[in-house]
Amino acid sequence: MAAPFTLRKIGVPPNSANLTEARRRVFDFFRAACRSIPTIMDIYNLQDVVAPSQLRFSISAQIRNNAHVTDPKVIDLLLFKGMEELTDIVDHAKQRHHIIGQYVVGEGLVQNTGSKDQGKSDFLKNFYTSNYF
Amino acid sequence: MGVGILASRAIRPASRLLRSQPSNLLLRTIVSKPELQSPEAAAVSQPEPPKNQILPPRNPVGGARVHFTNPEDAIEVFVDGYAVKVPKGFTVLQACEVAGVDIPRFCYHSRLSIAGNCRMCLVEVEKSPKPVASCAMPALPGMKIKTDTPIAKKAREGVMEFLLMNHPLDCPICDQGGECDLQDQSMAFGSDRGRFTEMKRSVVDKNLGPLVKTVMTRCIQCTRCVRFASEVAGVQDLGMLGRGSGEEIGTYVEKLMTSELSGNVIDICPVGALTSKPFAFKARNWELKGTETIDVSDAVGSNIRVDSRGPEVMRIIPRLNEDINEEWISDKTRFSYDGLKRQRLSDPMIRDSDGRFKAVSWRDALAVVGDIIHQVKSDEIVGIAGQLSDAESMMVLKDFVNRMGSDNVWCEGTAVGVDADLRYSYLMNSSISGLENADVFLLVGTQPRVEAAMVNARICKTVRASNAKVAYIGPPADFNYDCKHLGTGPDTLKEIAEGRHPFCAALKNAKNPAIIVGAGLFNRTDKDAILAAVESIAQANNVVRPDWNGLNYLLLYAAQAAALDLGLIQQSAKALESAKFVYLMGADDVDVDKIPKDAFVVYQGHHGDKAVYRANVILPASAFTEKEGTYENTEGFTQQTVPAVPTVGDARDDWKIVRALSEVSGVNLPYNSIEGVRSRIKSVAPNLVHTDEREPAAFGPSLKPECKETMSTTPFKPVVENFYMTNAITRASKIMAQCSAVLLKK
Repeated sequence: MAAPFTLRKIGVPPNSANLTEARRRVFDFFRAACRSIPTIMDIYNLQDVVAPSQLRFSISAQIRNNAHVTDPKVIDLLLFKGMEELTDIVDHAKQRHHIIGQYVVGEGLVQNTGSKDQGKSDFLKNFYTSNYF
Repeated sequence: MGVGILASRAIRPASRLLRSQPSNLLLRTIVSKPELQSPEAAAVSQPEPPKNQILPPRNPVGGARVHFTNPEDAIEVFVDGYAVKVPKGFTVLQACEVAGVDIPRFCYHSRLSIAGNCRMCLVEVEKSPKPVASCAMPALPGMKIKTDTPIAKKAREGVMEFLLMNHPLDCPICDQGGECDLQDQSMAFGSDRGRFTEMKRSVVDKNLGPLVKTVMTRCIQCTRCVRFASEVAGVQDLGMLGRGSGEEIGTYVEKLMTSELSGNVIDICPVGALTSKPFAFKARNWELKGTETIDVSDAVGSNIRVDSRGPEVMRIIPRLNEDINEEWISDKTRFSYDGLKRQRLSDPMIRDSDGRFKAVSWRDALAVVGDIIHQVKSDEIVGIAGQLSDAESMMVLKDFVNRMGSDNVWCEGTAVGVDADLRYSYLMNSSISGLENADVFLLVGTQPRVEAAMVNARICKTVRASNAKVAYIGPPADFNYDCKHLGTGPDTLKEIAEGRHPFCAALKNAKNPAIIVGAGLFNRTDKDAILAAVESIAQANNVVRPDWNGLNYLLLYAAQAAALDLGLIQQSAKALESAKFVYLMGADDVDVDKIPKDAFVVYQGHHGDKAVYRANVILPASAFTEKEGTYENTEGFTQQTVPAVPTVGDARDDWKIVRALSEVSGVNLPYNSIEGVRSRIKSVAPNLVHTDEREPAAFGPSLKPECKETMSTTPFKPVVENFYMTNAITRASKIMAQCSAVLLKK
């Protein structure tokens, strides 16, 4: 394993001057998150549940969700929130079921788009989920 | 009670007086003078209202409509200066109600006889030496009624003071707190201080049964319960004993209230003297969410309000519906809600090879059923809908079974040969409220007291109001009104049909005869002959006319009318015995022994009642308080239930389960939403889509062909053995078990 990566408290500085700087910050954040993945897997015992590549995919998917944003201030705020979330996870302030629910199953990574549900109609999919649809 | 509105109303007229004070008073000191204390002096110094003052328009209390039986006989009275036209026999209180003034009262109830003993309704009438009890005084033409004068207010304060004198300080522990008439009216009309310094009297509690909790110390002797029991319920159980402050309401002998309407005294009692025993100390009324829905314990479809706190039903209260249940509900309706918490099916289950049930996911359960259903032949598939099924689920079940190639889908309670072609042959054709116009009743093979308590209450009301004659053919039973027992079996019916029985004379002389046939007769083998005899009686005595149709059929289950409208009838008697796949949708009264040992049984329902033990697969469904379903009552009135609490565990709505099963089995039903199901129902039975409307039968008995069969001589048997245990919910209810152990007459 690589040398353990300590998450320095890189608080996001208040203002990015322009979009380029914001973009740079986004990639810094992504790198910090990916570097803390081994710690996360160690803390929450995710070795058998998910592979690091899948977690990376999950993180990048969440970042890509907001790819349409162009205002640097908004990007700063999103980064702040992301940093807060990452800090919580690395500090073991969350629990295993949170991680699995939010980042593993939530993105449709684990067994949700299995062959069982492919040909089924919306009615049946909703029926299996709950009574209220 | 709308007495909360009274509070604001009482304040408003007072502010009119304040406004008339001169506005240059900078300092308002509170000063009391002897002139201000006596009401008469204040009345004298009141400023006269200007003569041509335009008063704001007033609507009757509660949005009520006034029915004038003879429009020429209307009289005009003046209520607080407002002229109002009322019919001739109205009392002063009713005239004030028409004028929009709600007068406080404790003993007066619009559906009971007038007692006039609480004196809270005192109002001032001009030219009368003392205030009059408005509930008892008839309104005379030109009467000037004043409800907000100091005399009336002083009277109310005085009555309130007297009532509270002997009333215990029980508000914190009394169940009626928050919905108590005494609390509301003392806040609105009572004085702020009392002068009572002696000891309060107390009264021993009476044991009225497992349903009604009595704390007789709180009783204010309004006698509403006494009048209710003797007039509406027809049992003379309660009475007033003693005189003066030693008066006690009780049964005098150690007797329990066994009437099926005994729970209604809980609603009627204005204070916390009679409360609901199962609901005692469970909740306060302000933390409950009321949902207006329909009851399904019998075929009447009483309107109820389900009070729930979170996911739990706390109590059931009646709703006003003049046509069906007025303001009453039977004990079964009121108290069976705790069955909704017990024995609930919450997960799909499949029976293992060792005979035990194992909880599985919906996917697996439906996959298993979908596999098996393709391995049986079409006519070996049988679907049976239960007595609590709603119209949507029955429609989807019928569609599914029909598309699988089978015709064997029926509802519980409809035996072979019941045909649903003509709607008059299974509905209450004179409508429940129309029974009030009948003057002779002939009950054939039915005991309305246990089968449909609200119909019985209506008959009792008719008997009491217009001295109608009631005669019945069937097993000897208790009735709470005078009725003649003509016989026990079809022989008596034959005699009446042929004109040999002395009762025929009464039928012929009746203006509006009503014949009520019980649906239990549909299960007899000689059903055709019996129904033909009934129809010949109807024809001979002019029972079915354009203006009056007295031929009524009293159904037993909430789902029966809708099932017959949708066409769920049993075509062949051998269907169940030769079935290989049986789908029971809440059907617990099916004779489980008749199902062959190798048949695959799927049970879809909400309680683990009788038929579950034979099932191979269990699919949990939602109960009537958790789903939106359409029910048609025995007179053809379509109503909808509203979900009050969330479904239990992993249960789903009935129609959704059948629709999902059909999809898994490869059958494509053309709808996947409730609107789709309803539009499908519209093409089959459009009256089921028009909620809150009664659709009378279109054709009369003239279209029926001649019947060739003969009647057997077996006497009619009672259909309902135990009033308190008739469906899955009541059988699971502890309160119903207590009632049937204690209250049934042995």
